[in-house]
Amino acid sequence: MQKKSTDKAFFSRSGIELKSFYTGDDIPDGHRDRAAAAPGEAPYHRGFHTSGYRSKPWRIFQLSGFGKPEDENERIKFLLKNGETGFIMEHDRNTADHCYNVDHPEVVARREDVGLTGAVMQSVRDTAICMDGLPVDSSFGHAGGAVVQHAPFALAAYWTVAKQRGFDLAKLPGTGQSDFNLTYLGCVTKEQIPTLPGLQFNADIIEFCDRYLPYWVPVSIAGYNAADTGLSPDQELGVLFANAVEYLDEIKRRGSVDLIKAAKACGGVSFRASIEFIEEACKMRAARLMWADLLRERYGISDPKVANLRIHCVTAGSKMTYQQPLNNIVRGTLMALGAVFGGVQSLGVSGYDEALSIPSEHAHQMSVRIQQILQEETGIANVTDPLGGSYYVETITAQLAEKAWEFFEEIQNQGGYLATLDSGWLHARAAENQYKEFMDMENGDQQVIGVNCFQDDESPFEVDGFMGTDDAFDVATARLQDVLRTRHEKAATAALKQLEADCRSDTNIMPAMMEAMSAEVTLGEIGNVYREVFGNWNTPIQT
Amino acid sequence: MQKRILMAKTGLDGHWRGPTIVARALRDAGFEVIMIGMANTDDIVTSAVDEDVDLVGLNVGGHIDVAIRAIENVRNARPELPIFAGGTITPRAAKQLEGLGVEVYPPGSQLTDIVDAAERLTGTK
Amino acid sequence: MTEATTQPLLASALNGDRSSLARLLSHIERDPSAETEIRAVLASKETQSVVIGVTGPPGAGKSSLISALLPHTTDSFDRTAVLAVDPTSPFSGGALLGDRVRMQNHGLGDRVLIRSMASKGESGGLARAAATATQVLAACGWPLILLETLGIGQVELDVMDLATVVAVVLNPGWGDTFQANKAGLTEAGDVFVINKADKDGVQQTRADLQDSLSLLQSPVPIQIFETIAVNEDGVAALWQGIKTYLADAQATGLQEQKLRTRRRRLLMRILQSGCEARIEAYCCSDHGSAQVERALAGELSIEALQADLYANISQPE
Ligand code: B12
Ligand SMILES: Nc1nc2c(ncn2[C@@H]2O[C@H](COP(=O)(O)OP(=O)(O)OP(=O)(O)O)[C@@H](O)[C@H]2O)c(=O)[nH]1
Ligand SMILES: [Mg+2]
Repeated sequence: MQKKSTDKAFFSRSGIELKSFYTGDDIPDGHRDRAAAAPGEAPYHRGFHTSGYRSKPWRIFQLSGFGKPEDENERIKFLLKNGETGFIMEHDRNTADHCYNVDHPEVVARREDVGLTGAVMQSVRDTAICMDGLPVDSSFGHAGGAVVQHAPFALAAYWTVAKQRGFDLAKLPGTGQSDFNLTYLGCVTKEQIPTLPGLQFNADIIEFCDRYLPYWVPVSIAGYNAADTGLSPDQELGVLFANAVEYLDEIKRRGSVDLIKAAKACGGVSFRASIEFIEEACKMRAARLMWADLLRERYGISDPKVANLRIHCVTAGSKMTYQQPLNNIVRGTLMALGAVFGGVQSLGVSGYDEALSIPSEHAHQMSVRIQQILQEETGIANVTDPLGGSYYVETITAQLAEKAWEFFEEIQNQGGYLATLDSGWLHARAAENQYKEFMDMENGDQQVIGVNCFQDDESPFEVDGFMGTDDAFDVATARLQDVLRTRHEKAATAALKQLEADCRSDTNIMPAMMEAMSAEVTLGEIGNVYREVFGNWNTPIQT
Repeated sequence: MQKRILMAKTGLDGHWRGPTIVARALRDAGFEVIMIGMANTDDIVTSAVDEDVDLVGLNVGGHIDVAIRAIENVRNARPELPIFAGGTITPRAAKQLEGLGVEVYPPGSQLTDIVDAAERLTGTK
Repeated sequence: MTEATTQPLLASALNGDRSSLARLLSHIERDPSAETEIRAVLASKETQSVVIGVTGPPGAGKSSLISALLPHTTDSFDRTAVLAVDPTSPFSGGALLGDRVRMQNHGLGDRVLIRSMASKGESGGLARAAATATQVLAACGWPLILLETLGIGQVELDVMDLATVVAVVLNPGWGDTFQANKAGLTEAGDVFVINKADKDGVQQTRADLQDSLSLLQSPVPIQIFETIAVNEDGVAALWQGIKTYLADAQATGLQEQKLRTRRRRLLMRILQSGCEARIEAYCCSDHGSAQVERALAGELSIEALQADLYANISQPE
C-alpha cells in the first residue's frame, strides 16, 4: 500500500504541488479579480454561457463504428434511439487513415483487420449507405476524417451525400476532426502526407467551410489525443493552443478568410477528461480563459461569440482497465462528472470494455446512460459553474493556465508546433510521462484498483468485448470493383486529374475533392495522388 | 551474450505506447530488441529468420486472425522459436493464442512479469 | 562446442541456407573463437565482395539512405546484404535496434538480407564480429554489403577498415559540431553525403566540409553529394558516384593501396583482440587474479606481474 505520511509532498498530474487546503490568499492576484466575472462573460473560464446547461444540455456524442457501412449505420441508429444527441462516423483505419483501397497489399495482408474499428468507406456510395436515414440536418454529425490526409475525402463524401439528398450545405451542422495530435503524435500511420501539406489541407477546409458551410466546424483540435498519448493536463492545454496558432497564422498569411471567422472555426476543440477529475475541471476552465487571452493578445479579437471556446470532451480511455471491466463504469462516471464541472458542451464516455475492444452495444448504452443520469437525476445541470469560487479550483485554474503558457512558449522555442512533431520533441515529452506513469503503477505509488491491487473479482458477468463482423473486407472488395466498373470513367479520370493539379498548386483542393466525390473517385486513387505529390512524412518515432 | 527479441506490430495500427514501453523495459533488462514496427507476416518471418532472434514479441492491435497467421508462418520457418504477445487482446482471443503456445500479456500487465517471461522463454533465467 | 557448432553451420550457410547463415552470424558475435575456424575454412575461397560503409552521426539518415540505395544496387549486384549497427546501452548491455524498420520497403524480397547488430560498447568486439561477418557474407554469395555504423568512436573507425568505400553522411548544420568529431569523420570518408538537403544550411555545410577535406590532401578530388533520402532525391546520383569511385579507385591503384593499409590495420586488430582475450582469461584465472591482487597490494612489481602474465599467455592454446 501507498505510504501515507504528513510530510510527503502531493502533486497534481500537471506537477503542481498541492496544499492540504486552500484559502482565498492562494488565488493569484490577477486571477482573483477576473474570477468574479459571471459565466458567459470574459474571460469565460466560468462557462460558455450564463445559463449553462439550463438552456443547452451538453451533447451526448459517442465514437461509434465498425464493419460495413450498414453495420455502422445500425449502431448509430441504436445510439440515437437510446438518447445520443449527435453522432460520429468512424472510418476503418487500415483504409481511411492510410488512404488505401482494400486491394492495397498492406491491407490485403491484414484483411481480417478491415472494419475492426470503423466502417470501410472507399467512395461516396459507401458513405451514402452509412448515412442512410441519419438526421444530418437536425443532429450534429461527425463525418469522420480524424486523420489529416483523410479529412478532405471524408468531409467531401459526407457533404456530397447530404447535397444529393437535398440538404442545403449552407445550413448543415457538423464537424470532421482532421487532427494533428492524432495523426502525427498519437497514432502514427504507416504512410501519411508530411505536416506542411497537412496544414494546407486544414487551411483549405477552413476556407471552404467559410464560403459554403458556415455551420460546419471545419477542424477540431483534439487535446484528447495528445493527453492520452502521455501529455500532462498543462501540456495538453499548451499544445492545443500551439496547434491553434499554426492554423490561424496560416489563415492570416493567406488573407482569404476574415480572421474573426477563422478564429471561430478553430474554437471548437476537444479535451480529455481524466480520472483526477477536479484538476480536469480546472483544465476546461483554464482552456476558455487561455483562448480568450490568446485571441485578444495575438490577434486583437475580443468578440464574445468568438473568444468563447466550445469544448467537446472524451473520458480518458487509458484509465479504463482490462481487469474488472465493470469498475470502468465508475471511472467513466467520475471522469464525465469532471468534464461537466468544467462546463463542456459535448461529451463522450468511454465504454466499460474500452481496454478489450471497441464498445459492445451494451457498453455503448451504458456510456449514454451515465450521461443521462448526470443530466436528469443529479441536478448538476441546474447551476452553472458549480465549482466557481472554490479557493482550490480557482487557484489551480490560474496555475494551470500559467504552466500551460510556459509549455506553449517551450514549443515556440522549439520552432513551433509543427517543428515539435517533425523532430519528435513532443513524442519525447509524451514518452517521458508515459514511462513515469507506468513506473508509478509498477512500483505501487499509483494504485489502480483491480490492476495492481484488489485483484480478486467475484463478478458474475463475463465481459469479453465486442466481436464485430467478419465480412467487411469481402463486401468492400466487391463494392470497390463495382464502383470502378460502373462509374462514369471519363468524369472520374478528369476529376482525379484536376485534384492532382490542385494538389500541385496553391489552389484550394476542396472544390476538386467535391468534384471527385461526385465522379465517384475512390479513396485509394486519391491516396495515390497524395503519395505522388506530397511523399511520405518521416515519422520521428519507432514502434 | 545478449539474447535477441523481435518486436513487431501485426496491425496497421499506430498505437505506440505499449510496444515502446515494453521494448524499453526489455532493453533495460539487457536484451537486444529489434524493432520492426507495423510489419506484415512476410516481414515478420523474414526478420525472425535473418535476425536469428531468440524470441518473437507481437504487439497485437488488430484482429487476432492476423496475429495467428503471423504466428503460424513464424512456426513454419522456425518451429522452436518462442513467441509472446500483448496489446488489445480480448480474453477470448487470449485463450486462442495460448492454445497455440503463445504467452499473452494483456493491458495492465506488469513490466516485471513481461521481462521475467522474456528471460524464461530465452533461457536466460 | 565451437567445433560442433561452427563447422556444420558454415557448411550449410555456404550451401545457401539462409537460416544457417543467420545463426552463424549470431554465433560469430557470441563466440570469438569461431572466427579462427571460419577463417581457416574461408582462406581457401578467394571471395571478394564490395563493402560500402555508411557512417555518420546519430539520426543523420543513414538507414533511410541505405533504404533508398537498395533498389539502385540491383543494376550491378545480384543481391545485397546490410549489416546495421546501433548502440548498446552502457547501463544494461541491452539495445534497441531500430534501423531495420526504415529499410523494409525495398520490395526486393530474398535479394536483400538485413541484419541488425548491437555495438557492444567500446571493447565489446563489434569490430571483430563485423569483420568476420562480412567475410562470411561474402563467401556465402553476397557480392555487396552495406554496413551502417554510428560514426562516433574508435570502434566505428575500426569497422570502416573493412569497407571498400566509406560514405560519410552529414546534415546541414554539421559545421557547428565539435572539431574532433569532424576530423575523425573526414578521415574516414571516401565519399561525402549531405543528407536532409531539404533543410537550411546546405551551402554552408558544403563549404565547411570542403575546408576540412582540403586539409587531407587527397590525391583524388573527394566528391560531395546532396540527398534527401526520404524522397530519394539525389540518391541515384550518389549511387553513380559510389560506382565511379569504385571504378576509379581500382584503376588508379588507390584502392589496392588503401586495402593494404586497411588489411594491415585489421590484422593488428585481430592480433590485439586475441591478446586481450588472453589477458582477460589470465586475470580471471585463480593464479592470475591472485597475482593481480598482489600487485595491487604492492607485494608484486608491475614488471614482475607483466613477466608472469607473458609467461602464462604465450603458450599456444
Ligand atoms: C491511449 C490510446 C490511444 C491514443 C494513442 C496512444 C499511443 N500513442 O499509443 C490515441 C488517443 C491517439 C488513440 C487513438 C486511437 N485509438 Co486508441 N486507445 C488508447 C487506449 C486508451 C490505451 C492504450 C495504451 O496506450 N495503453 C497503455 C499501454 C502501456 O498499454 P498496452 O498498449 O496495452 O500495453 C501493455 C500490454 O498490452 C502489454 N503489451 C503491449 N504490447 C506488447 C508486446 C509484447 C511482445 C508483450 C509481451 C506485451 C505487450 O504490455 C504493456 C504494459 O502492460 C486503448 C484502450 C485501452 N485502455 O487499452 C485504446 C484503443 C487501443 N484504441 C482504439 C482505437 C479504435 C483508436 C482509434 C482508431 C480511434 C478510436 N476509434 O478510438 C485511434 C487510432 C487511429 C489509428 N490510426 O490507429 C481501440 C482499438 C480496438 C481494437 N484493436 O480492437 C482501443 C482498444 C479503444 C477502444 N476500445 O476502442 N488511442
Ligand atoms: N527531412 C529529412 N528527414 C530525413 C531525411 N533522411 C532521413 N530523415 C529522417 O531523419 C530521421 C533519422 O533517419 P534514419 O535513417 O533513422 O537515420 P540514421 O542515421 O540511420 O539514425 P541512427 O541509426 O539512429 O543513427 C528519420 O526521422 C528520417 O525520416 C531527409 O533527407 N530529409
Ligand atoms: Mg539507422
